[in-house]
Amino acid sequence: MGAVFSSLFARLWGSKDVRILILGLDGAGKTTILYRMQIGEVVTTIPTIGFNVETVTYKNIKFQVWDLGGQTSIRPYWRCYYANTDAVIYVIDSADRDRISTSKEELMAMLEEEELRDAALLVFANKQDLDGAMSVTEVSEFLGLTALKMRTWTIFKCSAKTGEGLTEGLDWLVNVVQGGKK
Amino acid sequence: MATAPRFFATNKKGENFELKADLNSEYRDKRKETVKKVIANMTIGKDVSSLFADVVKNMQTEDLELKKLVYLYLINYAKSQPELVILAVNTFVKRVLLTNSSRISIQDSDDPNPLIRALAIRTMGCLRVEKIVDYLLEPLKKGLKDEDPYVRKTAALCVAKLFDLNPGIAIDNGLIAILQDMLSDRNPMVIANAVSALQEISEASVQKDIFVINDALLQKLLAALNECTEWGQICILNSLSGYRPRDVREAADIIERVVPRLQHVNASVVLSAVKVLMIYLSHSFSDELDGTIVRKLAPPLVTLISSEPEIQYVVLRNINLILQKRPDVLTQEIRVFFTKYNDPPYVKLEKLEVVIKLCSEANVDQVLSELKEYANEVDVDFVRKSVRAIGRCAIKIPAASDKCVHALLDLIKTGINYIVQESIVVIKDIFRKYPHKYEGIIPALCQNLESLDEPDAKSSLIWIIGEYADRIENASELLEHFLENFKDEASKVQLQLITATVKLFLKRPGSAQDIVQRVLQGASQANDNPDIRDRAYVYRRLLLSNPQVAKAVVLAEKPPIELETGTVSESLLDELITNISSLASVYHKSPALLGGSSFVDMSQYRQEFADGDDEPEARRSIVQEAAQAMGASGGVDNLLDLDFGTPAAQPAPVGGGLGGLDMRIGGPATAAAPASKSGIDDLLSLDMGMGTAMPSLGGVAGVSVAPLGGLGGFSFGGSNTSPIMSSPPGSARISLPKTPFLQPASSQGLDLSGTFARRGGSIMLDLTIANRGTGPMSGFAIQFNVNTFGISPTAPLTVPEPVAVGASVNVSVPLGTSGGVQKMDPANTIQIAVKNNFGVYYFQTQIPVHLVLVDASAADATAASFGGLWGDFTAASASFAVLGAPFGDAANKLRANGLHVVQQSPSSVQAFGKTSNGVPVAIEVTPSGGGVNVSGRSRSPEILSLLQTSLEVLLR
Repeated sequence: MGAVFSSLFARLWGSKDVRILILGLDGAGKTTILYRMQIGEVVTTIPTIGFNVETVTYKNIKFQVWDLGGQTSIRPYWRCYYANTDAVIYVIDSADRDRISTSKEELMAMLEEEELRDAALLVFANKQDLDGAMSVTEVSEFLGLTALKMRTWTIFKCSAKTGEGLTEGLDWLVNVVQGGKK
Repeated sequence: MATAPRFFATNKKGENFELKADLNSEYRDKRKETVKKVIANMTIGKDVSSLFADVVKNMQTEDLELKKLVYLYLINYAKSQPELVILAVNTFVKRVLLTNSSRISIQDSDDPNPLIRALAIRTMGCLRVEKIVDYLLEPLKKGLKDEDPYVRKTAALCVAKLFDLNPGIAIDNGLIAILQDMLSDRNPMVIANAVSALQEISEASVQKDIFVINDALLQKLLAALNECTEWGQICILNSLSGYRPRDVREAADIIERVVPRLQHVNASVVLSAVKVLMIYLSHSFSDELDGTIVRKLAPPLVTLISSEPEIQYVVLRNINLILQKRPDVLTQEIRVFFTKYNDPPYVKLEKLEVVIKLCSEANVDQVLSELKEYANEVDVDFVRKSVRAIGRCAIKIPAASDKCVHALLDLIKTGINYIVQESIVVIKDIFRKYPHKYEGIIPALCQNLESLDEPDAKSSLIWIIGEYADRIENASELLEHFLENFKDEASKVQLQLITATVKLFLKRPGSAQDIVQRVLQGASQANDNPDIRDRAYVYRRLLLSNPQVAKAVVLAEKPPIELETGTVSESLLDELITNISSLASVYHKSPALLGGSSFVDMSQYRQEFADGDDEPEARRSIVQEAAQAMGASGGVDNLLDLDFGTPAAQPAPVGGGLGGLDMRIGGPATAAAPASKSGIDDLLSLDMGMGTAMPSLGGVAGVSVAPLGGLGGFSFGGSNTSPIMSSPPGSARISLPKTPFLQPASSQGLDLSGTFARRGGSIMLDLTIANRGTGPMSGFAIQFNVNTFGISPTAPLTVPEPVAVGASVNVSVPLGTSGGVQKMDPANTIQIAVKNNFGVYYFQTQIPVHLVLVDASAADATAASFGGLWGDFTAASASFAVLGAPFGDAANKLRANGLHVVQQSPSSVQAFGKTSNGVPVAIEVTPSGGGVNVSGRSRSPEILSLLQTSLEVLLR
């Protein structure tokens, strides 16, 4: 009983954050999604060498969102950030059919990690605004998401440029996080 | 009760594990606390580098305190985690350009707060990881043009750091140019830092035009000098010290601006200003200006002497240098340098030095009474130095020598042991300086015979007794007193006793004959110190061979001594003057030795030293250098050894120096003259072998002619008068007979002799190894030191093993010319190390230069190349006659020995050759009288003279 209250108080008045990781191959649009979520604007980005971390407040929940660089040289260091992660947002460039398999490999390798055993997975099929983008179903099939066991997951189509689909994703996250924490 | 297994079963995974968990905590405060803990651990030396990734996660924060902590961690561990540093880059670098300007930036190098921008740039500069250099360029460039001067000045220094890391990138991206532009910044601090960065860069760079002071810049610097912080002032003063004014007016102008800095409260600024003035003094623009400078220099130095002892020390060390350069600077101020009772010892000793430097006829009374005071203090070391200082005054100022000697006598009367001993040591020096002037005090000295217990004092007194043996009635008794315990004395005293007895004998042959016999006998037979045995042997031979010569040697007129006022050599002094107020000027060591530009060389040197195999090589070369220096200078430094050393220590011939070295490697290195040793070495083996009646042998001859003609007659290898062994058939070149390389006496029974030869186009080293030791020898190996021609073995030394006692074998080692190259002196010197199961032995020999001449095809020997060299008037030429050499087959002999005949006529033979290190030589042989005349030309006079040695042999 006391534990429930204290975690409730912590969420209301404390500075406890929900930790979210945004992962994905380079150029998938992770940094753009981060700042679209945080300040609601499209920003011009340069490749992330390292990471960005921002606090996004949505529906009275503070998300500490980590956007990690997606370049091959930085991917090995993703694992440094897995600890205490509540959810992973995995961003796919829906227009990049050539590298979807690489993306799948990275995703699967990541889900194998012990530290992420309890983390929820939100896949964004990004860049839906582009011609020739794969549909959500296609992406989901390519990634083999349906085969995932023991994992809370979902997939949304979205476009960081237009803002489409991001709110839905966040709503889902809020639900999952609140459901999980209570 | 706890049971045993519980001690081992723990679920604790160590502190770092806990810290890691806390760094990833969900609570900000906790994370910050943990970062503080991590930094705390870091500062006390615990390795927390494994937390790198987790600490870096906390880097993006609004919390300035946390940010600084993370930066601190980053700087400390970036080098140990170069891979992970990439994770930090984004936080420094990335700019997010927003579509509207509601938010200007989020990254540190773009932060609205200039302190954070500067902090980011400074930290980036400190990361020192080459991988991320590319990412840091952009923010650095922006920082250099930042609107805030604080950021600009930070960025300026960062360029120097970047240049150090990767000069190419700094130059290619125009950072240097931007830095040069910054010299005309409107903020003096920025100018100062730009100057500092450019200075550092230009020191490290091969380009010397990176930082050049011109008129406009000079004015800027002088203007900025007044306005910037003390750091900036020091920096600008340093740059001014490197600038040479064009004329008196400009110099006066600069000096006018620099002089006010002498009143600065910061000692470093003052000393930097002093440095500028000292350097301008050495340019000596005009007497008037110099006078002004000298007048201005004294007051600030005097002021600094009343600051904290640590600063005093630094200032005193610098004053020491300044006085050596300009003794006139502080002449009026000697009182300031008298020590106070509460000065720390290091300050006292330095003050003493300065006082002696300032001591002159005008103030010597004052100084003497001070020194006498000091001699009554309690600090033994300081008292000794004071006593010594009195002696130095006596030597420095002849007019005051009487007073000084009296002062010393007074001190001796106190009877305090260490004062008496120190006094005797300095009186010995005074005797050297003023011979026969103070003989009257000898009895007073001798009264203290009993109380002497230090080798220095004893040997000094013995020297005095020996030197004045003819004036001291009871000299033999006094010496007897010391001789009682001859065996227990320090080797220094023993050596001195031997010399003194010999002197006594030479001065009063009648009374001292039995003493001298006893001493020499005892020292040469019952003593295991080789130095002492050697000296006894030398004297014995000397006395036996010719007493007149012995007299000339032992009682030779000694060169007068002078006060060694300079603590550092002239060239070092000049270097140190330009480094006043730096560490170099405090240590009185060249800045190169303390790091800086030649640091790399030093570390290589050290590595070489540390390397097992090379160590003896390195040590040997050091010993050799020292030996050569001793042989060459042999001057005034060592009074005790001089009376024997000087006459024999002619500049050591290379062959001669070596014998001494062989012995030295095992025994203690002492200051005895090395050149004489080799003779004795040889002599020892002669004694064993065939007695003494072999006048033609080098060793004996060497010693007896030493005082007249040096040791010239003696040499180990390549003696130019040796007969030719035989005329080798075919392509073999003439080689010399084998000469002894190692004497069994000094190499545990290994008797090694050999010679160089050239057969079938390759150089060979023919060796005869004989075992004169006590056990079979095996495990032979040979190694060559780097040499002028790069000669080194191409195959290992293979000896049919083991070599039984008494047996000898002949082996050949094929040599190539592709080894390490280093100029030797003389050029054909080769240092060789031979190893067997008993030890490693070193020797050096000389290879006849005709053996290193390359074959015709490689030498490009044509009439044209001969003509080219022959016509070159800048080349060295030599011409000599070889008597008894038939001209008829001169051409064939030249051909057979590596010189390629390009033209042959009844009246002359012209030949051309090239050494394996590419030095061409041209030779012309013409018939003359009973032999031939040879003229030679080469750009290397040394090769030419070595070739002459070869030709004299092979043309016969």
